[in-house]
Amino acid sequence: MAQRAGETEFTLDTAAELASETSASEIRGRSPWYLAWRRLRRNYVAFFFLFVFLLVIAACALAPVYAHDVAHTGPDANHILEVVKVNGHPEQVVSEGGVINGKLVASLPIGPTWFGGGGKFVLGADGPNGRDEAVRLLYGGRNSLIVGIGSSAICVFFAVVLALLAGYFRGWIDFVITRFFDLFYAFPVVLLGIALGSALAINGFHHFGISVQPGSLWIPTLVISYVLVPYVGRPLRGQVLSLREKEFVEAAIAQGASPLRIMFSELLPNLASSVLVFFTLIIANNIVLEAALSFLGAGVQPPTSSWGTLISTGRDFIVTRPWLSLAPGIAIVLTVLSLNVFGDGLRDALDPRAKVKVQH
Amino acid sequence: MTRKNRWKWLLTATALAVGLALIASACGGGGKKSSSSSAGGSTTSTGAKTFANFRIAYDTGIDFLDPSLSYTVQGWAIMWNVYLPLLGYKHVNGPDGATIVPYLAQSLPTVSSDGKTYTLTLRKGVKYSNGAPVKASDFAYAIERDFQIDSPGVGFFGNIVGASAYGTTKKGHISGIVANDTTGKITIHLMAPEGDFENILATTFTALVPAGTPFKDQSTTPIPSTGPYMIQSYSPNKQVIVVRNPHFDASLLGGNVPTGNPDKMTIQIFGDASVALTRTLNGQDDYDFYQPPNDRLGQLESKYANQIKVYTPANTFYFFMNTRVAPFNNVKVRQAVNYAINRQALVRIYGGLATPTENVLPPTYPQYVKLNLYPYNLAKAKQLITQAGAKGAAVTIWGSNNESRRSPEATAYLQQVLKSIGLNAKLKIINAAVYWTTIGSQATKAQIGFADWFQDYPHPLDWFDVLLNGERITATRNNNYADFDDASVNAKIDALKKQPTLTSSVNSQWAALEKQIMEQAPWAPFINQQGIDTFNSDIDLSCYVFHVNYQFDFATICHK
Repeated sequence: MAQRAGETEFTLDTAAELASETSASEIRGRSPWYLAWRRLRRNYVAFFFLFVFLLVIAACALAPVYAHDVAHTGPDANHILEVVKVNGHPEQVVSEGGVINGKLVASLPIGPTWFGGGGKFVLGADGPNGRDEAVRLLYGGRNSLIVGIGSSAICVFFAVVLALLAGYFRGWIDFVITRFFDLFYAFPVVLLGIALGSALAINGFHHFGISVQPGSLWIPTLVISYVLVPYVGRPLRGQVLSLREKEFVEAAIAQGASPLRIMFSELLPNLASSVLVFFTLIIANNIVLEAALSFLGAGVQPPTSSWGTLISTGRDFIVTRPWLSLAPGIAIVLTVLSLNVFGDGLRDALDPRAKVKVQH
Repeated sequence: MTRKNRWKWLLTATALAVGLALIASACGGGGKKSSSSSAGGSTTSTGAKTFANFRIAYDTGIDFLDPSLSYTVQGWAIMWNVYLPLLGYKHVNGPDGATIVPYLAQSLPTVSSDGKTYTLTLRKGVKYSNGAPVKASDFAYAIERDFQIDSPGVGFFGNIVGASAYGTTKKGHISGIVANDTTGKITIHLMAPEGDFENILATTFTALVPAGTPFKDQSTTPIPSTGPYMIQSYSPNKQVIVVRNPHFDASLLGGNVPTGNPDKMTIQIFGDASVALTRTLNGQDDYDFYQPPNDRLGQLESKYANQIKVYTPANTFYFFMNTRVAPFNNVKVRQAVNYAINRQALVRIYGGLATPTENVLPPTYPQYVKLNLYPYNLAKAKQLITQAGAKGAAVTIWGSNNESRRSPEATAYLQQVLKSIGLNAKLKIINAAVYWTTIGSQATKAQIGFADWFQDYPHPLDWFDVLLNGERITATRNNNYADFDDASVNAKIDALKKQPTLTSSVNSQWAALEKQIMEQAPWAPFINQQGIDTFNSDIDLSCYVFHVNYQFDFATICHK
């Protein structure tokens, strides 16, 4: 009888043959992480955006090199009265303005010199202070990423600890922690961020043996992490409550494992995939929040640049020098988009059924 | 329909459409105008062109709308037409605006031969906006309320007999103010003659308020007014609504306070200069209080040249240096800062709408003699820092986020300058709404920072006495941010204060005193700023009044 491709020929020896095949290719155990990696590596879109994000990080990390070796200026250096040569022609970094010969003349910062300025003012100057926009964009990106990643790490750390405590112990500990979450939910995130950021921008934070000076990047980092803890903590608490009822937890309790051990050795590994996805997504969220707070003057304080402060200072020249706001805006979009797409890919890979997302 | 009939029909329809369009354009406002705006103006029997609503796009600089507390151009520009003092200024353009006229007083004060007693009489029949009669004792109450709520204006009243004691105890009454509600007579006894006392009586701090007005900020629960307008509501950082005072009668005030043209003023507060300008040019607002952003100046010149007014108010922008706090307690460090700042660069920061200065007084003053003590010299500045042993000293520069005044940009420049001369400078930018009270508190110990001064009244005392007399330093709401306290300077100010008139000899003495002060460099003055008022095309700028003190007078403007 002719056999069609892919079909197993059943003979009297089939059972024996199957047994021999099984012994030949032994079934190997696959860890969830390996399976996730296998799923992730097939997601080329996620990998492309991971590459974009790494590219942004690399560019921002190299800001001092660019400033020193290409632009030959620092991020805060004023060049108000200086003249640069663009394609051999001298141009004022900040042009003269005011009432000249009876007419109103706008005083404008130099536009992008691209490759004509020998590396100087590639994206033009930032405003009346005549600072190099490209240098400030890279330094600003560094600060935005530090705040974004730093606040995400702090936020996720505290959210995990609180979720584990609330979900494992339940009872009054859960009550106190969830009321704390509710309290923060009652405030709109941006308003709470503005209130805290503005208050701390004046005198800094000097309590409980911690001293943070006003103007420090720690202020927006801590403010953002603080206001977002409930938004990560609450869904994680739900997961802990569910995991708490599983047999492996009961088994651990029966074996006499301490609560600390159960929380960190049994529950935490099972939360890890959600935490990882949250962490990735919340970085994007925090970069946007930092930009919003800085735009409103409650985040990164001048003269330190961030993408939010650059958009804010660029507003004054939105008509004649739109790229002063567009460039940092595009940088934010690229970074946030890459993190979101990669985060989605990671979520699909780690737990395709999960519906983890940051909402507020 | 035949061809001929069709033409007839078409012509009739066209004529009808054109006619209707003409009628509509005559009746209604322009397409740009929103429904909230009045449609054109109407001329009253007095010649005033009244209209329904004057819509103003305002900046965020209002500190208070309480006459005892406000000390900003933004606050005073609104309150000038709301809360009236006994004396005031003519509502006219140019130098004549500095002329003092009686507002709530029947006439200018009678001054005793020794210059220490001022006598005024309250006009009869004047009422507050709530209908209550204005009483002579309300003047005493207003001054005492200033002390009770730590008004920034109390420094003006230190020369009144018993005022300082009242300021300390805050009990009883100020013995130097005697008011008789029956006769309306108000007598003010001074400890020493004071040349600018009439000007002081014309400040908003002396505006009469009803007895019993609480000793706390009343910005959001407006105090009954005596002027042509009253504040109907104020939502901080959002909106101020000003409406006509139903009990105001211009004839009772001798015509010195105009009734005003707009029936209502809707003042909306925006955080962005560009938004305010766009709204005004689009017809959503009638007037833009903001200074337009630099990059819109070309557009204004090319398209809207007949909708703008460029003005030069009496102001000085400066960096104060706290003479009580290191390293600025060393005169060499202060002089070094003066040498190190390039004032031309600062002019550029202000978009060229400024003139560089080293003087305290603006050039509009007859006492002004241009100083050239500190030409830009970075090498000399560094040398002075080395001589003072201040190299590496930690310095915090204070600035506000007020974009209209370009404080963030000016202080960012100063930071670079201080770093370049060897000081370890950090920048501290805080919200404009709390900036002046923060740096005006001795507890802050602000080392150096941005400041500007727009005159309260056109007299050198408003500059030297208010800002640089060591005897007027206060613990809170201090205006002498430099804490400059030089016995010789104080004595000269006190002596010049007694001069009843500003003769050329007195003016020369002021000029000499200014030089003496600037040699000690408590300030690094850098510019006198020009400004631009922008209006929408429906506003008739022939009614525009720019006052020497209060700048653009909202009340006198009219529609085309």
